Amino acid sequence: MTSLPAYIARRLILLIFVILGVSLLIFAITTLIPIEIRAMLYVRNVQHTSPQQLIEIAKKRGLDRPIHEQFFAWLSEVLQGNLGFSKFSQQPVADAILERWPYTFEIVLFAAPLIIFIGIFLGVQAAIHKDGLIDHACRVLSIIGWSLPSFWLGLLLLSVFSGYLHWVSPGPLDTNLLQFRNNPDSGFVRHTKIDLFDGLLNGRPDITLNVIQHAILPVIVIVTINVALLIRVMRSSMLEALNKPYTVAARAKGLDDKTVIYKHARRNALIPVVTLSGMLVAGLLGGLVITETVFGFGGLGQWAANAALQLDVPAVLGYALLSAFLFVIANLIVDILYAYIDPRIRLV
Amino acid sequence: MDLSAKWKELKVSWQPRIKEWKFMLKRIRESPLALIGIAIIIGFVIIACLAPVLAPPQAGWDPFMLRPDKDLAILTPDPTPPTTRHIFGTTAEKFDIYYGCIWGTINAFRVGLIVVAIALVIGVVLGTVAAYYGGLIDEILMRFTDIIIALPGLVLAMALVIAFPTTIPLNITLIILVVSAVLSIYFAAFKPQRKYLLPNQIILLISLFLYLTNPIVIGLNMSKLDKVLISLAIVGWPGYARLIRGEVLRVKNEDYVEAAKASGCSDLRIIIKHILPNTVYPLLIVVTLDIGSIVLTAAALSFLGIGADPNFADWGNIISMSRTWISSPELLVRHYYTFLIPGIFISLFVLGWNLLGDALRDILDPMIRRR
Amino acid sequence: MTEDSLVAVKNLVVKFYTYAGVVEALDGVNLKIRPGEILGLVGETGCGKSVTSFSILQLVPPPGRIEEGEIYLNVGGKTLDIRSLPKDAIRQIRGKDIAMIFQEPRAYLNPVYTVETQIGEALLTHRKNEFLQKAIEALEKAGKKSSFEKRVYERMLKKPKSLVTKIMAKFCRKKTLMKEVHKEVVELLRSVEIADPERVAKMYPFELSGGMAQRAVIAMALSCQPLMLIADEPTTNLDVTVQAQILNLVRELRKTFKSSILYITHDLGVIAELCDRVAVMYAGNVVESADVYELFEAPLHPYTKALLESIPKPGEEFKSIPGTVPSLINPPKGCRFHDRCQYEMDVCRKIKPEFIEVKKDHFVACHLYGGSK
Repeated sequence: MTSLPAYIARRLILLIFVILGVSLLIFAITTLIPIEIRAMLYVRNVQHTSPQQLIEIAKKRGLDRPIHEQFFAWLSEVLQGNLGFSKFSQQPVADAILERWPYTFEIVLFAAPLIIFIGIFLGVQAAIHKDGLIDHACRVLSIIGWSLPSFWLGLLLLSVFSGYLHWVSPGPLDTNLLQFRNNPDSGFVRHTKIDLFDGLLNGRPDITLNVIQHAILPVIVIVTINVALLIRVMRSSMLEALNKPYTVAARAKGLDDKTVIYKHARRNALIPVVTLSGMLVAGLLGGLVITETVFGFGGLGQWAANAALQLDVPAVLGYALLSAFLFVIANLIVDILYAYIDPRIRLV
Repeated sequence: MDLSAKWKELKVSWQPRIKEWKFMLKRIRESPLALIGIAIIIGFVIIACLAPVLAPPQAGWDPFMLRPDKDLAILTPDPTPPTTRHIFGTTAEKFDIYYGCIWGTINAFRVGLIVVAIALVIGVVLGTVAAYYGGLIDEILMRFTDIIIALPGLVLAMALVIAFPTTIPLNITLIILVVSAVLSIYFAAFKPQRKYLLPNQIILLISLFLYLTNPIVIGLNMSKLDKVLISLAIVGWPGYARLIRGEVLRVKNEDYVEAAKASGCSDLRIIIKHILPNTVYPLLIVVTLDIGSIVLTAAALSFLGIGADPNFADWGNIISMSRTWISSPELLVRHYYTFLIPGIFISLFVLGWNLLGDALRDILDPMIRRR
Repeated sequence: MTEDSLVAVKNLVVKFYTYAGVVEALDGVNLKIRPGEILGLVGETGCGKSVTSFSILQLVPPPGRIEEGEIYLNVGGKTLDIRSLPKDAIRQIRGKDIAMIFQEPRAYLNPVYTVETQIGEALLTHRKNEFLQKAIEALEKAGKKSSFEKRVYERMLKKPKSLVTKIMAKFCRKKTLMKEVHKEVVELLRSVEIADPERVAKMYPFELSGGMAQRAVIAMALSCQPLMLIADEPTTNLDVTVQAQILNLVRELRKTFKSSILYITHDLGVIAELCDRVAVMYAGNVVESADVYELFEAPLHPYTKALLESIPKPGEEFKSIPGTVPSLINPPKGCRFHDRCQYEMDVCRKIKPEFIEVKKDHFVACHLYGGSK
């Protein structure tokens, strides 16, 4: 059956299994941490607690029970919405995530479409003008982009544009605007908690513009590094499609070059690119850890990095679970798009 | 002479392969990107080899640890810009950046090559097994790799590095017991050479006895660097497993494999002699690109402070000392040398491998198609 | 020579510049197809049949290039030199005056679009105005005299190139136009003997069987009533029974549409059954061309003779042609067949024979018949 809805239903079921698998994996990893260290989470004053006391606390909290017991206990908590308490950020993990995800979202919102559209466009152009100037330029520039460490590029841009040109300050928003937003008396209502949209909703477009201004540098870093992969895949996929028999047949029908390239070849060429885009966007979370840290954006990535440094198990678990969940969702969307573009897939 | 005849036979059978290699080398020589990449890599190899000469370590001190410059330490707690004494300047802890960059080269090679080697071996073995035997084994292994790939590499690496205990208790007797048990099952199911069966059963019984009475446990001490290496290898092997699996599946159904089976070759022999050699080229490309990618991730981990020890001569480590000035970018500009120069080292190193890998991809692709 | 022909190819030279060297694929090919005639082009794999057909439509893929020669098309009383036409003009010819069908139909159809979309594409490329007119009439009959759709269609007829028209067309759903196209597609599919054309129209290429796909491709090729159809081994991949059906179909369609057909194959049986004239190719040259009966009864060129003799006959031994087809990277000098020819003469090794008319309408390129000047 080549119907789209049936295909989607099948993928949804697989999704659940993968999420379960990922959470089990992450959980298993955290059990490697010695129980004394994990018990520290439940203690207010770590320095004055002896190791024996820690072990007692660990036993009380059930940290020494078999792995599968702990896992199911944790799983039932998660399903009720309780992701645990993050010691270093002094708040429930779920709250921490909700508070910080808008900043990450602001970056991804601009970075992802840019990567995809620039990648597709340049990849197609490079394929059409194979071995031409644009082809070589794209190749060299994208290899260089792919080779740069994200933190280095970030530091570079930060120092030049923020430290030297004083064009923008680190962080997601100017300090005065941040204070304005947080001030309960200012009349600013955080409808969506996303400053980008809240600015407009509150009649303060300058806040929205400020968000964009602060987001430009992190977005540049992310796009520069990730666009290389997309260009390369699009290019090779397009080259293959242009040499396929159906392209020859389309030309033999008398269609003009533009139609042959963009309607016939490109649609087939997009198939592997769609898959890659999904993985790329889902993987952005990993790159964001570094970029957010460098630009002090205060999003999920920076929080996760600090949590890891502090050995805050619930936080790292929560972040890993979230990443996996987003990855699986992205995969699902990709699979649906894939099935929409390529009808052959709907039989699988 | 029997020997010279055999030697001639060997040379003849290798002829087509030699021809392919010669063609490949010719294409490499003609590709400017490949040559630049190779030049960069060779440059770094030279630096790594000449490290003791270029940046002589202090006597009695581990050359891989950075040592603060005692004379400057008293003056200010700030980094010093490049001078004749410290060509690239020093960091806030008065570490010589030049020294760190030179010895960091060796570290980069070490991290890249070791991680890729481990990930490659695990990935190739598991991927080949999954593809060749198919069925349930394949399903389980593939779901497992799916799960690992589901997480962004950096996140998983972070989680692994912090979770790894410093001492891993290894129950040697248990390991030997499990291995010999698995082998006995294998022997029972597939009935290969008898001569291995008896020794295996003896080992099985001995290890069982020891396990129950007096198990041997050793604690494996892992330095922070080791943890990073193993974590990156764990993150990296699924990629190779998937790749090898795809290639083996492709080759498995070719006619010459059927022919080998028909003439009675054992499974292992088929895999090693027929299947794996044909999977080499895509693997070569991925390995080259991966070395650069691994070094980047390792540097990122060091930058976050999750990597090697704080005083380690590692590029990412040096840059991590610049983290304190992120909130005040003006200071970042003033102390630009603390991150700019090590970053250039990282970028060039990775660039070299990426150029080579990309050029190889172009060169090997039509060759693969020519088959 | 070109007056009575529909398509004439003279001294066509095509070379491919590859990594391994320069492949001299076509070495002076001469062909003539008359209106309403089925010309069979026969030869072994690699002799240049497909390259010739691609050259006629200027579709030779890089690294190939047409180096020399002339290709003429007689249409509407005018003789067009195809090689010197601008790109737009060539695109007008492709699909409309000369259409082409290929060996593996499902590979030559775009897998992500339905049959209907692809045939409709061909229709709209060359018969757009006709369908616009039909759509307008349909809308008028339905009483929607001043709808947006109708105005868009009328503009597309009158001022197709203006920017305003293009913008309006982008926003218009064009349902009526698509319905008219759909009707025609179904009719076309029915005319190639596809049962249940409504359902097949909405199918994707991978859902069709080989025979059905080939019929659909034929329908697409004939959709604009071309003067000539180039069929590049269309039945080679099909079962014999299906092949017979397709051949019958082709014969019927020739009667209906009166188009010429250039039928490329390596199967002499098909040639004997279907074609009016035959051209035999070897290693990039046409070595003989004649009326089909004439060729089978009185072949002149040694290669043709050997080819006919190699057809297996019950009770007799297999007769093959000694030697192998020469590499076209460094082809032999003189006549390219000389090292396998039993009548080889000294001159054959040095001078290439000319393609001359030896008997009425029977052309050969061989020194045995005075091919040297």
